[in-house]
Amino acid sequence: MKFARVEVAAIAAAYALVGCGPAPGDPNRQVGPNPYLPPIHQYLLPPMHVAKVVGWNGATPTVAAGLKVQAFATGLANPRSLYVLPNGDVLVVETGGPPGPVSRPKELVMNWVEKMAHSRTKPGQRILLFRDTSGSGVADQKTVFIDHLNSPFGVVLVGNDLYVANTDAVLRFPYTTGQTQITDPGVKLCDLPGGPIDHHWTKSLTASPDGSELYAGVGSNSNITENGIQAELDRASIWQIDRATGAHREYATGLRNPNALQFEPQTHKLWAVINERDELGPDLVPDYLTSVQDGAFYGWPYSYYGQHLDPRVQPQRPDLVAKAIAPDYALSSHVAPLGLVFYSGTNLPEHYRGGAFVGEHGSWNRAVLNGYKVVYIPFVDGRPSGPPQDVVTGFLIDGDKARGRPVGLSVDGKGALLIADDTGNSVWRVSAASP
Amino acid sequence: MASANPRSTVTLGGRPLHAMLVPIPIICFVGTLITDIVYWQTAAMLWADMSDWLLLVGLIVSVVAVPAGLIDFLGDPRIRQLRAAWIHAIGNVTALILSIFNCLIHTRDAYTSVVPTGLILSALVVVILLVTGWNGWALVYRHGVGVRAAGQP
Repeated sequence: MKFARVEVAAIAAAYALVGCGPAPGDPNRQVGPNPYLPPIHQYLLPPMHVAKVVGWNGATPTVAAGLKVQAFATGLANPRSLYVLPNGDVLVVETGGPPGPVSRPKELVMNWVEKMAHSRTKPGQRILLFRDTSGSGVADQKTVFIDHLNSPFGVVLVGNDLYVANTDAVLRFPYTTGQTQITDPGVKLCDLPGGPIDHHWTKSLTASPDGSELYAGVGSNSNITENGIQAELDRASIWQIDRATGAHREYATGLRNPNALQFEPQTHKLWAVINERDELGPDLVPDYLTSVQDGAFYGWPYSYYGQHLDPRVQPQRPDLVAKAIAPDYALSSHVAPLGLVFYSGTNLPEHYRGGAFVGEHGSWNRAVLNGYKVVYIPFVDGRPSGPPQDVVTGFLIDGDKARGRPVGLSVDGKGALLIADDTGNSVWRVSAASP
Repeated sequence: MASANPRSTVTLGGRPLHAMLVPIPIICFVGTLITDIVYWQTAAMLWADMSDWLLLVGLIVSVVAVPAGLIDFLGDPRIRQLRAAWIHAIGNVTALILSIFNCLIHTRDAYTSVVPTGLILSALVVVILLVTGWNGWALVYRHGVGVRAAGQP
């Protein structure tokens, strides 16, 4: 603790000297329903603190007491999301974003930073199927389930229809239980906003509990409208897509980059994790977990956490800001939540039942790294009921080297938590230490 | 060795390098002010993007042009005796430092990459360039700095 204080003081001094802005504060002040929101600080030189990728080299993540972790699958090419089929087969989406155009010099630097933050393995553009026939917790069968996709991310099965959200379209494939490979080319259900910029390219997907509607998360095309407001048409929103016709409407808007759409099992309400805006300081704007209300506007780009105006957006829209609502639960700034799963299984200890796990991919623009872990948020009556608890850590070593980065989460057929690790190129399985 | 005019130290094929290069940053920084003004008036991002490129190219060439000018300034004591040379040198170094800050401000996203700080810096740099340009022309056309006089080696 003393060491941490010295470290923070040293960072603060360094920042004062080079004029890079305020030292990062305590993330614990920025979790829960009422996060502390410091004044805006616009940088002269934004911090680019990327964890150097070192890989696992046989090590495993650290899990909380009462849990154990296994490498369910390794040797993958940028696994980002997971989906568990009813028979227990695990779909792993290997994916990477499309290269964006360079419209100004900054993007040359940003592209380089992004490259440094990720694994050197060229991302796959496909979905793999893993099966654990022996029940050991480690997959022993692997097939290419669907190949030649276009930056896929979201997957959902409704009956015998398997839907995949490519970055530019929702596709439907026929699926029968037990199938390990789909060669059918699939049918396009509807287009999604894709290139040529496609800044936030991950399109999450889920289905309403009755299966009649699909919901797709469509992230913004910029940090904060720097590609022009016209590039944001139909973006920064969650789409509701009619499963029968493919027609869509914007279910909720003002969500900068919504991911991991999930229905809360008790109340059947839609929830998502949202990546908020950058470059307003190390502690702005907190990313969040929220229930998504029909027709609601959550502020992006004009404001954040309700009516806190963002001076970078011009012209402003006071009419929209007046309607902006604050989200439910802050996760602290720049943690980059990309995974969410509600736990209704019975394998994990009692403590973890009924709440939500969140996968925090981790910060790249904050002097002290934040995120890089999986947390558990307890729920009571369908609402968060306490602070987040660290469940899976150890993705960082020595404070600034990344062995891996957690992304998508899912729960397997036996009730264990699965974690896609796109930088460690693995899928981790977390289960009860003693059955 | 009686030479009539103060000499340029950094030359390429007998021509002063500084004089060859300075038109590029000057036109880039003047261009930045114009595209900044248009962005301020329209909020169309394309104009701010153009400012970023103009600033970058202007800075890259300045990194060669300004040291070449400074070496000329230090290379011949007769240049340092000219008041116009001091104004020109101090002004241009200031414009370069301001433009570096301006380039950083312009890396911000959207409106505040230009308004108000970027726009003010762009305007300030152009005002400085008018003064240093005026004095620079005096150096060449009145004092013959870097100009080879008849019979001069």
